[in-house]
Amino acid sequence: MSQYPTINNVQVGDELPVMRKSASEAELFLYSAASFNPHRIHYDRSYAEYEGHEDIVVHGPLQGSWLTQFVTDWAGPQARLVSVEWQNRASAFVGEELEFSGVVSSIDETNGSVQIEIEERKKDGSLLMPARATVRLGGS
Amino acid sequence: MSTSLIPPESLARVGEILSEPVTVLIDQREAQRYAYAVGDLNPIYFDEGSAQAAGYRSITVPPLFITHALVRPKPADELRLDGLYEDTAAVSLQVSRMMFGGEEWDFLEPVHVGDEITGTTRLADLDQKEGKKGPFVRLVRETTFTNQDEQVVARSRQVGIAR
Repeated sequence: MSQYPTINNVQVGDELPVMRKSASEAELFLYSAASFNPHRIHYDRSYAEYEGHEDIVVHGPLQGSWLTQFVTDWAGPQARLVSVEWQNRASAFVGEELEFSGVVSSIDETNGSVQIEIEERKKDGSLLMPARATVRLGGS
Repeated sequence: MSTSLIPPESLARVGEILSEPVTVLIDQREAQRYAYAVGDLNPIYFDEGSAQAAGYRSITVPPLFITHALVRPKPADELRLDGLYEDTAAVSLQVSRMMFGGEEWDFLEPVHVGDEITGTTRLADLDQKEGKKGPFVRLVRETTFTNQDEQVVARSRQVGIAR
């Protein structure tokens, strides 16, 4: 018995388990290093403030990778991510608690894939990143 | 009608390759460092048996890792004040600020550790729009990722907003 959704049991309106993320200074530094990104707004607070940011800025692509993890954790290892898209509406800052939520918006039974509408929000409810993903679910 | 933020010579570049194709070997340790940095410890990125049980030929990599794998290292003395390298793929525009607008990805074939991935980036789209805060330019750079078997494994479209 698989714990993951299949095309036979998934329904439009199904909600994905909420995923919470936040990144400390050290975690943001690690991401800068792993992605070879020397942009100062991601580790130098006074420089980030000089550029008009409230604090050290969380990388856009890091949030993109959190987004893919949000989908693949739900869909399971047999599933295949087909596409993902997101818009960056506002900046996230170091230490902020960020929340990913998603809902299945359509199902394509001919190829076993589902589309998911996703939002990343701050604790105050403001929208950081509207997103959409298509994933082909694993076998039943 | 507002003035054009896009010089004709930049508009003429739509469809052009912005940077020469780069080919890299997908390295297991580099990919796993990326997975750790993201906090995505999916066993298909770490364990051969788990990856094969999930239908992969061997260990696979986090979906967006390939774009970072292609980053070309450069000498530190080429860094600007903001910590970035000069953007050699820049498109000339009459704007003061470039912001990150978002990304769109299509994943067509799996990527495995040991694959040789080539990325080619084109200027896919460039147009001026009218926003609440005045005119802005939407710039789309599309990267096509192919593997050693000439299969397109992924496409990414990075959207920049300039005003």
